[in-house]
Amino acid sequence: MKILGIGNGAREHAIAEKLCNSKYNPKIYWITDIRNPGLNRICKETNGELLLANTLDAEKVGEIAERLKVDFAFVGPEEPNFYGIPDELERRKIPCIGASKDVAIIEQSKAMMRRLQWEYDLPGKLLFKTFKSSEEAYQVLKNYENTLTWLQNVALKPARQAGGKGVKVVEDRQIYLHEEKSKFKSFHVNWLENYMKSYSDIDDKILVEENVWGPEYTLQCFVDGKTLIPMPMVQDNKNAHDFDIGTETGGMGSIAGPKMFLSFMKEEEFQSSVEIVKGMVKAIQDRSGKKYKGIVAGQMMMTEVEGPTIIEMYSRLGDPEALNVLSMLKSDLVDICYAIIEERLSKIKVEFKEIATVVKAIAPKGYPDFRNLAKNHPVQVDEESIIKNNCKLFWGSCELKDGELLTAGSRLLEILAEGEDMNECSERINKCMSYVKLKDGWGLYYRSDIGSKELLERREKMADRARRLYQYRIEKGILGKRVDWLPKIGKIDPVRVLRDELKGNG
Amino acid sequence: MTGIFGFYPFGEGREKWEASRFIYYGLSAMQGRGQETVSFATIKKGKIEVINRDGLVDEAFKDPLPEGYIGLGQVSAYPKDYLIHVKEPLELVLAGDGKPALHEDKYEAFKLLAEKLAFAIDKNPLEETLKIIEEVKGGYSFIAITEREEMIFGRDLMGVKPLEVGSVGFDLGIVASESCALDVIGAQSSSSVKNGEAIIFDPLSIARKSSTKAKCAYCSFEYVYLARADSIINGIPIYDVRENIGKILAQKNKVKADVIIGIPDTAIPFSLSYSKEANIPAKLGFIRTGRHTRTAIKPTQMERLIGVQLKLNPISSSVDGKDVILIDDSVVRGNTLKNTVWNLKRKGAKRVQVRIGSPLIISHCPFGTEIPQKDELIGRALSKEEIAEIIGADSFEALTPEELSKAIGLDKAKLCMGCFTGEYP
Ligand SMILES: Nc1ncnc2c1ncn2[C@@H]1O[C@H](COP(=O)(O)OP(=O)(O)OP(=O)(O)O)[C@@H](O)[C@H]1O
Ligand SMILES: [Mg+2]
Repeated sequence: MKILGIGNGAREHAIAEKLCNSKYNPKIYWITDIRNPGLNRICKETNGELLLANTLDAEKVGEIAERLKVDFAFVGPEEPNFYGIPDELERRKIPCIGASKDVAIIEQSKAMMRRLQWEYDLPGKLLFKTFKSSEEAYQVLKNYENTLTWLQNVALKPARQAGGKGVKVVEDRQIYLHEEKSKFKSFHVNWLENYMKSYSDIDDKILVEENVWGPEYTLQCFVDGKTLIPMPMVQDNKNAHDFDIGTETGGMGSIAGPKMFLSFMKEEEFQSSVEIVKGMVKAIQDRSGKKYKGIVAGQMMMTEVEGPTIIEMYSRLGDPEALNVLSMLKSDLVDICYAIIEERLSKIKVEFKEIATVVKAIAPKGYPDFRNLAKNHPVQVDEESIIKNNCKLFWGSCELKDGELLTAGSRLLEILAEGEDMNECSERINKCMSYVKLKDGWGLYYRSDIGSKELLERREKMADRARRLYQYRIEKGILGKRVDWLPKIGKIDPVRVLRDELKGNG
Repeated sequence: MTGIFGFYPFGEGREKWEASRFIYYGLSAMQGRGQETVSFATIKKGKIEVINRDGLVDEAFKDPLPEGYIGLGQVSAYPKDYLIHVKEPLELVLAGDGKPALHEDKYEAFKLLAEKLAFAIDKNPLEETLKIIEEVKGGYSFIAITEREEMIFGRDLMGVKPLEVGSVGFDLGIVASESCALDVIGAQSSSSVKNGEAIIFDPLSIARKSSTKAKCAYCSFEYVYLARADSIINGIPIYDVRENIGKILAQKNKVKADVIIGIPDTAIPFSLSYSKEANIPAKLGFIRTGRHTRTAIKPTQMERLIGVQLKLNPISSSVDGKDVILIDDSVVRGNTLKNTVWNLKRKGAKRVQVRIGSPLIISHCPFGTEIPQKDELIGRALSKEEIAEIIGADSFEALTPEELSKAIGLDKAKLCMGCFTGEYP
């Protein structure tokens, strides 16, 4: 059996490893933009091959897959989905685990995803507005006194999925700091306009969303167009640094297990989150007329106003979240892939180990905002000591070049620990991080607090607070209700305003 | 005492932030920790500007505020206790609370600490800072900013003085003596810096390391008096401790009375929970004239008395014809309390029984909290009966150190109770 994977990072390394451990002993082939040392090793060991090519070039990827006569392909990251790699493979009759372009749009366009939610009236949605220019956005954002409450406290985002970058949350609730916050909003919408210039595949440029709070989690699922099978809930950590301080990253580490839902979540919340993701899949299948086959995930938050709420959708596994669920997965991943391809997920059993898992990423200083600084540093890793500590290493943004390992600017590698106790896993990984070094002395950083008792306690407290509020809303029949009152105008229902706007537009 | 505050932005666009207004409101929240001096330091493109002034935050600083995207601030209870500015070999500015055991004088002690830092942190700043924390005894927390645009902060091995760290959005790291300062500037979370922990923010990362030699001796005075009731220190909400204190006071001496009066602001939570436990109504007993000042920490006796008298004008109808239980947070010399009792009686109180929500202060504080000379401490000199007689109360009771440790919920061994017991960690 031959399997072809696509993508460069630690998530792909984890997928490849899971595939190669299958009872079918497949040969693993992989297309990457740079030579990832982990993928390189797995390809070699299984007598497959690592091929360097542009992972976004559908023609090229299609050609390679056809030439190799692979049995099926597995797309790791989101961008190849947006570029229609799964569609091209399908065209060439090569089965593919990967969302086709038309359904992957729920990840590609955050604006389109929100519109779909409102048009199909799905649960777990947020108020939003889209803009084509920073000027337009700022005209709305700069109002303070005579404006809807949610427009003062916002998340400012690129309207397109843009590599886990560019999101800012601005809570402008202290009037005495309003000047500072307002200046920052203005600066950031300008930044967004500029940033979005490099993406021409989408009309909306800036997405402004109502700001919400609550514990975040990712719910990743296998889907075959008819049936959806959820994997364990995972919590990623977006802030770059300890104490939840600092820049938005692709994710600095994640926790999951031992149950299907996180310790601070409830089983009902897991179930309703599954329903929400199912609803999204149904809606996009209906809208596009295409089947959704592969992976779908909801990056979610349990909020006071809506209960389980979608922050964004993924058309692939999360990175680092993939590492948690794949290490917990007991069933053979190849069997699952075939079930997806042959649309018989409803017939198979997918099982997960009941165990706690913690993953942490380590990145060179400079990631995520100043990647040039983070690039091209020679890497030295004592992998043996990591294994001795019963941890696993997955290579991320690292290039094997002329026998030397070089940082490539993003998260260098991720380390996974399994165990009974999350705090112990966390500490074990922290220890292993000392075995990772850059030979030129450039600094690396990781989050020591992910999975720690203190952080878990904090998440639990937050979850309890959000839960009490949304459950009260359910009791009162006011889940999702927002109301404002403006002098001279009177009572305003922001939901109604949004619905009218959406009708007006189309 | 001192309140210290640090503001640090991360990521692309970090230079767009203006630190000053955050410092201004952060320090305002901690004004209770010191009302003599207020200082700001800001960094803009590696250039450090320091401004030291006397007075309260809102008097000393008016628009325009100093510019810069990294900021440090301090309010202090000691005259001339300004930010420490070291220029060689590395320029740094340091704010400190408590006292490192390097000198008798707080300012001089922190100056020596700042100089040590400036010399040591050329390379491996994290390791070197931790070494200094391990080496320098005493009870202190500090925040320093350097010309390399780092923010370096930490707590002594025993964690005597508090230090909290929190975040705003994807942008800001905030450090402050008390979590109330983080709340006031809209931070989403707050955690305690660990005892014997050194933390460094630099433009590209955060690094932290804790000493293996750390012990625990949290300042118990913080819980009864120093910290604001809306703060959470070392994970323990101040308000909860103060409620526990009121409850314990009610349980230990069951006396009859018509009304419970707490002396504003600190003793109000004591009085509310005392009232609930004893089933005696609590009332507001006093209205303040002028702004809130912390009377016990005013430098001169005269100022303290002016402070108290202005602060506490009794509400006659709360006490007229009544048996009163009057609760205060601490007693040092007893003269302000004597004055208050006299005032209540003058307004018609039949009897006044005084309760103190902390143990009696009998000894000095080696960690910088200003406590009068031993011969000025009434709790050291006299018995409870004698104190009652002198202040004109019908009875006088205070918490024992054991009861305070119970109210805080920590074993005595984990607290510094030196001012109440004369035994130091
Ligand atoms: N409406 C909101 N209210 C509060 N916080 C939000 C909101 N939207 C996003 N966030 C925060 O910003 C983070 C990133 O947002 P989002 O997932 O939309 O962006 P992204 O850059 O695509 O992230 P990813 O790295 O997952 O691809 C979220 O994980 C969440 O912490
Ligand atoms: Mg996201």
